[in-house]
Amino acid sequence: MNKQVALKADDAKKTADGKEFNIRDYLRLDLFPHFMCPGCGHGIALRALLWAIHEQGIDKDKLAVVCGIGCSGRVGGYIDANTFHTTHGRPLAYATGLKMARPDLHVVVITGDGDCLAIGGNHLIHAARRNLDITCLMLNNEIYGMTGGQGSPTTPRDRFTTTTPAGNREPVFDACKLAEAAGAGYVGREVTIHLPRLRDLIAGGLAHKGFSFIEVMSDCTEVNGRKNDLGSSPEMVLGQTRTMRPPDYEYDSNVVDHPFRPSGLHTGVFVQSDRPEYGAAYRDMSEKLQQGRTKP
Amino acid sequence: MAKAKKQNPVLVPESKKLDPANMTEPVNILVVGVGGQGVIMVSKVLAQICQNLGYQVKQSEVHGMAKRGGVVFSHVRFGQQVWSPTIPVGKADVLIALEWAEGLRWMNYLRPDSGVFIADTKRIVPPFACRSRALGAEIGYSKDTPDDVKAKVCEAFAIDATEMAAKAGNERAANTLLLGALSTTLTFPTSEWKEVIARMVPPKTVDVNLSVFDQGQKWIDGSRRGEPVEGGAFVPLVQPEVNPERTMLEITAEWCKGCDICVKMCPERCLVLNKDQVAELAEPEKCTGCHICEWLCPDFAISLNPVSQEAAE
Amino acid sequence: MNSMTGQANTVNLQGNKACALGAVAAGCRFFAGYPITPSSEIAENLAKELPAVGGVFLQMEDEIASMAATLGASMGGIKAMTATSGPGFSLKQENLGYGMGAEIPCVVVNVMRGGPSTGLPTRPAQGDIMQTRWGTHGDHPVIVLAPGSVEEIYQQTARAFALSEKLRTPVIVLFDESLGHLVETVALPDVADYEKTVRKWATGKPEDYKPYHGDADGVPPMARPGDGFRVHTSGLTVAENGFPTQKPHEVDALMKRLLGKVALNNDLIESFEAVECKDAEVVIVALGVVGRAARKAVKELREAGIKAGLFRPVTLWPFPTESFRKQTAKARHIIVAEMNAGQLIHEIAEVKTGKQKVTGLNRYDGVPISPVDIKKTVKEVLGHE
Repeated sequence: MNKQVALKADDAKKTADGKEFNIRDYLRLDLFPHFMCPGCGHGIALRALLWAIHEQGIDKDKLAVVCGIGCSGRVGGYIDANTFHTTHGRPLAYATGLKMARPDLHVVVITGDGDCLAIGGNHLIHAARRNLDITCLMLNNEIYGMTGGQGSPTTPRDRFTTTTPAGNREPVFDACKLAEAAGAGYVGREVTIHLPRLRDLIAGGLAHKGFSFIEVMSDCTEVNGRKNDLGSSPEMVLGQTRTMRPPDYEYDSNVVDHPFRPSGLHTGVFVQSDRPEYGAAYRDMSEKLQQGRTKP
Repeated sequence: MAKAKKQNPVLVPESKKLDPANMTEPVNILVVGVGGQGVIMVSKVLAQICQNLGYQVKQSEVHGMAKRGGVVFSHVRFGQQVWSPTIPVGKADVLIALEWAEGLRWMNYLRPDSGVFIADTKRIVPPFACRSRALGAEIGYSKDTPDDVKAKVCEAFAIDATEMAAKAGNERAANTLLLGALSTTLTFPTSEWKEVIARMVPPKTVDVNLSVFDQGQKWIDGSRRGEPVEGGAFVPLVQPEVNPERTMLEITAEWCKGCDICVKMCPERCLVLNKDQVAELAEPEKCTGCHICEWLCPDFAISLNPVSQEAAE
Repeated sequence: MNSMTGQANTVNLQGNKACALGAVAAGCRFFAGYPITPSSEIAENLAKELPAVGGVFLQMEDEIASMAATLGASMGGIKAMTATSGPGFSLKQENLGYGMGAEIPCVVVNVMRGGPSTGLPTRPAQGDIMQTRWGTHGDHPVIVLAPGSVEEIYQQTARAFALSEKLRTPVIVLFDESLGHLVETVALPDVADYEKTVRKWATGKPEDYKPYHGDADGVPPMARPGDGFRVHTSGLTVAENGFPTQKPHEVDALMKRLLGKVALNNDLIESFEAVECKDAEVVIVALGVVGRAARKAVKELREAGIKAGLFRPVTLWPFPTESFRKQTAKARHIIVAEMNAGQLIHEIAEVKTGKQKVTGLNRYDGVPISPVDIKKTVKEVLGHE
């Protein structure tokens, strides 16, 4: 048996119903080619998400994808599922209503660094606090791409954007720490080049009963990359394993690291807790009330 | 197959055994293997016996770079008078190989007219031997069989020592089994061998080591007498079959935006951007189906589809 | 229109509580809100009522999230509502517009208080009349119901759900602090018909379904997640297939249907109260709580021999223009009494057909307009002739 066969066997293990993952089963093919720029990391992140969904055996009809505004907000529309392209910063709030109303749906939120941390920051911390069973994918490309390249809460120091023409001086948000502190049940980060690892991280989030926050380090090649001389698309992808990310993201030493990225960006699962999931807790209370066991 | 392929009817007479007491030249024993097998242990035991019997002995080994899995060899020279610690090419009386290919690599050190080749048929394939990722690529490991070796040297024994030691209770005692085999080529008394071995192996493994030492002696003696012996099996190394299915890249040109990621990330460099800045599989025969281009294509423009090997050609 | 058909036992009920009970009676099973005076009792009552009937009550992190979660729940297919007051209503505007654009039913209650800004949180006002109409950006359809009593709050809240579900658009229920905190003895009307009115759900083959293709009533059937339709819902301007478009003819068709579906169903939406309008020389136009003062003023003016009448739009937007024109055909004077600096008066001045003189009666000091105020204004108007 050669390596190729071995690799296939490994893939087969990853499927829920024995069917191999074919991304086109999960896409709205008539919308392709998609709108994203050449080399945009969001496409790779979308593959990881769809693969994880396949692995988890989630029915497309029972999958609800809620997006905000921006490049990340447009990603969901390509998924052949129940997709909602909502308002800027609010996808987590929409998703909260949707999940509480329809616990039978798998609710996935795709959001971006600006959408989730700036205009929607409040919703992130409260979604994490509630720990409702939602999987939130934050595609962090460190910039507002769709509006033309303005600085975001994750734009690293000294990075040039259209609103930081002399280099950024604002400190960055560490979204994973934020989500962890706010109480998210599952928190992790991965870069797009490590696609199988990213897939497994997302699959873990989908399987987790509670709020899962996954930060995907994605490349904005056309806006961020060009403006800051970060190299061509392949150079940016390869750079993810080296020194592209600045040490602003540095975590304490108690988190996962791996030998290929000594520069300080930590990846992997940071938090996996068994905090009670809010939806179940609410329904339990509601059922008791309906049976008259508890007085409000 | 559990029998030695070739039967050697001539039992080596005691006089033909190497007896340093009656030799002017030193006896040269070369021990080779890979890190972790116990090459050094074999040479230490041998050196210790020689010392006990009052001979001059010189031992020279290289194992610093080997660690576990790398090449290890040890020269042991003993006799009335020994000057140089290393054995010249073509002067080794016995070559003990704990790993098959290592034995083959050192074969030119044996005396062409009288050298004895004793090797474990255990094969440890180094990663370097698998460096070709092409579909169905052969593993770069010697295909020589014991018969091939026997044609090249005076006397050759291929023992599945590791398997025999494992059956006896400890796979790692394979080196002691080969010591047993080695002992048949020397005049040293068996009691001397056993005493040294018992002293030098870990206390818990003394019994199993002494038992496999006997097995090694019996194997060579039996083999020389032409008796059917266990452990002579030589199973050829399994070369990879060519997968009846192989993958073909299907590139949806209309979806490709020419970002160049697949071209630069392909380990085989078999993709190019064509004049329209669309990815194209320029050298399909090089494609190993590793999925990297498919996985990292942000535009989902690449699919790997299984096709039959014939269809691909 | 103020039908007193309900035969149930009478109860003493607060306006805000009536709103909560009306919602539950109409089948509302989701509420997301944020505490704000003077609407908080709606949330408080629903926090008690909803879990007991298997519904969901959520106190969200802010007003914006409340609106968003309400729409999210409705997208999931259940009747949903939120309630707020002026400042919160301002915060909800963007997402309210999303509901109108993406055609997601829900009910938004605005219990008005004095403004601008934080204003008079515990005092009544009618300063949001135009905000309900034009609060969110862009052209959009709007349905606003403005009840004038506790009983009507119960009834109109229930009706708001029916209209919202039927026409696939958010419906705003607008009243003010004085009504919200008013406790009245009411016989709760039967709202079973409103409860039975549910959304038109998509049926048939998913491949033939066009999420934004309106039926004859201008309303497209909605796809419920999980039913196999797997559609895209977007705040962007979309073509009939639900995906964004910028083609002028597609945009035009969508906007025409979106704005037209309310006009198309006006018979269903329109509601008003007309008192003694047929021969009235002076018609007082009053909304919500002011209607109560106006009703008394009309009675007293009639007793004094002045031909006065009252026109009270219960459906504020779309304004019941044709009915208003009919009711004020004989009038020489129209007095628009409102608790603001003059908002509804602009609509009246625009829609009147005859030569009626329009006079505004405005109070914005946190005190409801009284019958005395109205009588005084009527006499002034007539005396000035």
